[in-house]
Amino acid sequence: MHKRNRLFVSIALVYGLLGGLIAIVRLIDPSLIPGNVPRAHGHIMLLGFILMMIYGIALHVLPRFGGFPLYSEQMADWQLYLANAGLPLMIAGWLGWRDMLVMVGGVLTYGAIVLFGLNMILTVRARGQGRTISVQ
Amino acid sequence: MKIELIVSGSCPFCLEAEKVWRAAAADHGFEFSVVDIIQPEGAALTQRLNLQTVPALLIGGKLRAVGVQSPEEALTLLLPARQEAHDRMQQMGVAFSPDNRWFILAAQAYLMLAGLGLLMNGSFLSDNAARPAFMHLFTLGFMLFMIYGLASHMLPRFTGNPIREGVWPWLQMGLAHCGVIGYAAGYLAGRHTLIVVGAVLTWLSLAIFAFRVWPVLWPEKA
Repeated sequence: MHKRNRLFVSIALVYGLLGGLIAIVRLIDPSLIPGNVPRAHGHIMLLGFILMMIYGIALHVLPRFGGFPLYSEQMADWQLYLANAGLPLMIAGWLGWRDMLVMVGGVLTYGAIVLFGLNMILTVRARGQGRTISVQ
Repeated sequence: MKIELIVSGSCPFCLEAEKVWRAAAADHGFEFSVVDIIQPEGAALTQRLNLQTVPALLIGGKLRAVGVQSPEEALTLLLPARQEAHDRMQQMGVAFSPDNRWFILAAQAYLMLAGLGLLMNGSFLSDNAARPAFMHLFTLGFMLFMIYGLASHMLPRFTGNPIREGVWPWLQMGLAHCGVIGYAAGYLAGRHTLIVVGAVLTWLSLAIFAFRVWPVLWPEKA
């Protein structure tokens, strides 16, 4: 399994634990963490835990199930960088009430989503000589 | 499993040991390498193991024998490693292990429970106090249990590294069940303490999952 994909899964676990922890702290005493905690929690779990887990596993299995190599390793690397630059900015924006940070983080996160989507489309729908895997 | 034979260029018996172990490793499908003590890797191994004698045999990074073995002795020394390789192969079978099968089955039950929100509230994400209960029956009950079952099944196969088994998956499952049910019941019954306890138990199940999966992703180097 590619190191980048293992990083995606590992980071997903860290975000899952972090997102759960801030929800528990919020449940115990809402004043302990400032900002829009429910929104931060929801996005940490969805974009940080679930989506990064899917990124890591899908980047590994979809090329194999599709029968073609991943279209672009570089796109997947940038997907990792953008996703992990975007989400912390979004979290900082919600907890610090900074809409600008949320917006910039959202754009970066969306960039990662687009890179993943395009990479998967171009991988699973791969056509042309040199990219097919011989069955013989 | 890797077999390493530590030798010295000035050792008259090392060539014979190499012949025996090269043949044994080839016969039983083990990776084999010869390490000379004058190489940096060999010197490091000699120091780490405090070796006084060559040839020395390492199986899976552990010192198992010194001197020259006969082919029969080599086979005896390889038996535990062969058994371990066999056990690992069983663990890497295609079918779900019982714990992962139960994670997947439970996920479907939680999906149906979460779907009850549609019948009771007319909406999956209702505006009333039951919203967190049904939402988390879906996210924690269905999605998290699916991740537990599928990731625990697939990641060891993707990486070739074993996952922590034994009591751990069952503890993880017990905590997750108590946590999700407690959390949802707490919201439906209006019991804040139950909500907090449910959240903490679910978080602990996730911590155990991370503990189990981490060495699958980042195994310790032998």
